[in-house]
Amino acid sequence: MTILEAAGALRSGKFSSAELVEEALERIARLQPKLNAFITVMEESARAAARRADAELARGVDRGPLHGIPIAVKDVFCTKAVRTTCGAKIFADHVPDLDAAVVERLAAAGAVLVGKTNMHELAYGITSTNPHFGAVRNPWDTERIPGGSSGGSGAAVAASLVFMAMGSDTGGSIRIPAAYCGTVGLKPTFGRVSRFGVMPLDFSLDHMGPLTRSVRDAAVTLNALAGYDPRDDTSSRQPVEDYVPDEGARIRDVRIGLPENFYFDRVDPEAVGAVRRMAETAESLGARVVPVRVPDIGALNTVGRVILLAEAAAAMEPYLDRRADFGRDVLALLDQGRLLAATDYIQAQRLRRMMQREFRAVWKQADCLFTPTTATAAPRIGQAIVEIDGQPEDVRLASTRLVRAINVLGLPALSMPCGMNSEGLPLGLQITARPFQEALILRVGAALESSVAARWPGGL
Amino acid sequence: MTDWKLLAVARRLGMPDEELERSRPAMEALEAGFRPLARSVPLYLEPAVVFQCPPEDRQ
Repeated sequence: MTILEAAGALRSGKFSSAELVEEALERIARLQPKLNAFITVMEESARAAARRADAELARGVDRGPLHGIPIAVKDVFCTKAVRTTCGAKIFADHVPDLDAAVVERLAAAGAVLVGKTNMHELAYGITSTNPHFGAVRNPWDTERIPGGSSGGSGAAVAASLVFMAMGSDTGGSIRIPAAYCGTVGLKPTFGRVSRFGVMPLDFSLDHMGPLTRSVRDAAVTLNALAGYDPRDDTSSRQPVEDYVPDEGARIRDVRIGLPENFYFDRVDPEAVGAVRRMAETAESLGARVVPVRVPDIGALNTVGRVILLAEAAAAMEPYLDRRADFGRDVLALLDQGRLLAATDYIQAQRLRRMMQREFRAVWKQADCLFTPTTATAAPRIGQAIVEIDGQPEDVRLASTRLVRAINVLGLPALSMPCGMNSEGLPLGLQITARPFQEALILRVGAALESSVAARWPGGL
Repeated sequence: MTDWKLLAVARRLGMPDEELERSRPAMEALEAGFRPLARSVPLYLEPAVVFQCPPEDRQ
C-alpha cells in the first residue's frame, strides 16, 4: 500500500491512523531482529500523534496526504528530546533540543514519526554495516547490504515497516539504498529541502530526501518538505510547485538522454538491460530517446571525493581525539581528509564550478538522463569486491561511481526500481535533470511506474 | 608523489603508522587523478563555495 492509497482509506474510514501506526509498530517489533532497520523506535509518542491525527480528521482538520501516515527519519535528523546518534558512538548520547526543519515540516503535514532509522556511521559509507548499532540487512536477502548510508530507511520502506523514511545523500546515500532495496529514492536539488537541524557530513554536498514505495509518494513528501528556510544558508528561494504528477502523467516529447560514455561502462549487463528497457518503455509512451555525451564524470567523481574528504574531516575534527570510538572504515576516510592540503579543497571547489558550466551543454540535448543507479545489485554483507564482466572492483566504488557526480553538480535525481536481476534482487534506474526540475523527473518516473506496474504483478 | 607519512608526522595528526599505511593507496590514487585536474583550473575561476554579505549586516 502507498501513502496515497492509505490516505484515501483513512478518509473513507476503512482504518484509523491509530490502527496504521499499531500495525507499523507490530511489524517493526517483529522484523527488527532480522533487519535491524531502526536505532530508536518511538512507540508512545507515535501512538499519541496517531490519536491526535485521528481526532483532527474527525473534526475536519485535514493536513493533506501525509496526515496520520506512519513514517521514519534517518538518525541524522535532530529530534527534540529524542536521541539522535548519526549512527556513531561519539553521538550515542546526543539528545537535541530542537527538531530538524524536515521533522517540523513532516509533523506540520500530519505525518506520524514512529522511529529513527539505522545508517552507516556518520552517513559516511554505503554499506550500513554499522559497528556500533549493528548491520542493517536487506529485506530481499538478509545476507546482503541494503546500501547506504540511509540503509535503515531503505530497508524500513522495502519491508513495509513505514510508508516513507527520510534519508540524506552526500554521494548517493538516498539513491543507493533505494536501488539495492527496490524502493523509490529522491534526492532533490541542492537547496530545495532545508538542512537545518541535520547533523552535517559535508556542508556543500549534503542533500535531504525521501525513500518511498512509489514515485507519487516521493512527490507527496516533497510537497511537504520543499521551500525556503532562512535557518539554512544554502536554502533556495526558488518557488515551489505541486510536485505530484497527474494521474496518467504524459511524457510525450520529453527528451530522454541515454549517455554514450561512462554511465553504461563497467556496469552489470542485467542492470544495463533493465535501464534500456525502461528507456524503450518511455519511448512507447511518446518520449524521445536521444544518445548524449556527458562531460568527464570520472573527473567529477574525483573532485567530489576531494570535497567530501576535506569537508567531512573538518566537520569531525573536534572528535578525532577519540579515535577508538570510530569505525575502522570511517576513521580511514577522516584521516584521508586531514591529509589533504587546503589548496586541494579550494581547487576542487573551483573545478566544481568549471564542470558545472560544462555540464549545462547536456541539457541542450536532453531534458533528463536515464542511467543505472548502481553498477550491480546489492552486494553481500562483508563483501569488499564485486566482479563486473570478470573485472574486480571495490564495492564502494561500484556503488557510488554512477551517483556521486550528481551531488557535486547539485542536480535533482530520482532512483526507481526498473526490474530484478537473475538472483531476484532489485535494480535501480536513475533519472537526473536540470536544477529544480523535480516535477519533471517525478512525472517521467510516475509515467514509467504506471506503465510497468502491469508487468510486475505485486510490484516491487 | 607525496610522502603521506612524513606529512602526517609534520602536521602532528596523531595517525598510527598502520592506519596511515592503510590509507596510502587511496591517497595515491586520488592524487594521481586530482593533480592533473587541478592544473587545468583557469586563473580567474572562483570556487563554488562563495561567502556572501547579507544586507541585514549593513547596520
